[in-house]
Amino acid sequence: MFYILYMKNIYEVQRANKIKSFFIVTFFAVFVALATYVLVRALGIYSGYMPGNLGIVGIALFVSGISSFFGYYYSDKIVLGISGARPANRNNDFVFYTVAQNISIGAGVPVPKLYVIPDSAPNAFATGRDPKHAVICATTGLLEKLDRTELEGVIAHEISHIKNYDTRLMSVVSVMVGLIALLGDWLMRASWFGGKSDDDNRSSTSSIFLVVGIVFAILSPIIGQLIQLAISRRREYGADAGAIEITRQPSGLVSALIKISSDKEALEVANKATAHLFVSNPFKDKNQGSVGWFADLFNTHPPISERIKALKSMA
Amino acid sequence: MIYVLFAILVILIFWVISIYNFFVSTKTRVGASIQEIGNQLKRQSELIPNLEASAKGYLKHEKGIFDELTSARKQISSAVSSGDVNKMADAGKMLSDVLPKIQVIVESNPEIKANELVKSLMDELRDTSDKIMYARRLLIDLTADYNVKLVTFPSSVVAGIFRFEKLKGLETSEEGDKLKVTEAEAKTPKINL
Repeated sequence: MFYILYMKNIYEVQRANKIKSFFIVTFFAVFVALATYVLVRALGIYSGYMPGNLGIVGIALFVSGISSFFGYYYSDKIVLGISGARPANRNNDFVFYTVAQNISIGAGVPVPKLYVIPDSAPNAFATGRDPKHAVICATTGLLEKLDRTELEGVIAHEISHIKNYDTRLMSVVSVMVGLIALLGDWLMRASWFGGKSDDDNRSSTSSIFLVVGIVFAILSPIIGQLIQLAISRRREYGADAGAIEITRQPSGLVSALIKISSDKEALEVANKATAHLFVSNPFKDKNQGSVGWFADLFNTHPPISERIKALKSMA
Repeated sequence: MIYVLFAILVILIFWVISIYNFFVSTKTRVGASIQEIGNQLKRQSELIPNLEASAKGYLKHEKGIFDELTSARKQISSAVSSGDVNKMADAGKMLSDVLPKIQVIVESNPEIKANELVKSLMDELRDTSDKIMYARRLLIDLTADYNVKLVTFPSSVVAGIFRFEKLKGLETSEEGDKLKVTEAEAKTPKINL
């Protein structure tokens, strides 16, 4: 209870966030390395092709990388294509347009390309591989329901995602998760067909690797995804703190989050691939409160109540 | 051994380059934010007369507001022509103090509230004064970053070699009239119930 009493300022929050984020990302990297090693060793035993360990990783990395590369490089175009967005202009979307300009001035980044998604559920997201190719989309619902101060909070949240290179990090992370999933999948197939070597040919270390490999093949894609989600949630706290650093007005983002979360509509254009980009979880969880931390494990965003608590501590 | 020394040298050179680039690019960005403040002030001084012209008919008995608006406009145009950052920032602040007062009047007057032109002029003015606020804040942050790197080790060594000088930026409230409390302000306010 003591941590509630201890008020942190923005800079302390940001520091703590960066450290936590660093640890999660490091842990993720170690986990990916370990899982890859075990899976490749097990695969090597099945295929009887020991020196080719790196070769297998190479192929897997290539396959998982190529799909993500397109996602990463053309993420803006793909997402915009899916969402049916139209470009914003100064006359029709005066508040959105000028607020984005102002926040960009404050954050010292180029003004992102702005798009409006015709959807009455209030939400917004950012994408693009770096600040120069950034895109921010807002739904018409968001623009209608929020006032200027609230919109400043939301746009500042998106711009700090852009400034922190969160979209880039999440792309790399998803390549890695894809890599583990592929390797695990291949191992399962290889074990199905039995491999060519005889039982008595195997040393005890190879059989250990086989058992551990199967366990990893089953568990590591799930674990990898859970860590991916943890990174995504940590980054949300980071973007909230970054937004406050730009606007210096926690109340704007707080009341925007309350408005967004109290809205009952789910965003139609969102899918699982784009969920982590939005300012709040686009799938309204129906089981909120009843399942607790276990359901939270599978969310791209922290619960709104937690975020508001963190924001208020900075006020 | 020679390779290790060589590697260290390469790393050192890259480090010096990155510090040098930090100083140069921050200086440029400070210049850009000053420019931004100037541009927005110019825009304001063009918008204010329009607002006055279109709202005057509705607000005959709100003369005080117009006087404030006029003096804000005068201060803005003199600040822009002087080119002094501190004056410009102050002038921007003056307008952002007047705007909420006009907003209150507009909100309470349905006739003027319905006027699209007044509404869009108010929106534009609010936007320019927000832009000035953000540019001002960025200017303060950048100058602070720059000046801290300038005096802290080891970046101070690089700054010394290339003779980077302290940036003035905006005057902070450490000095000047803002900190003085006048006699009138120090008095306990009388409240008549």
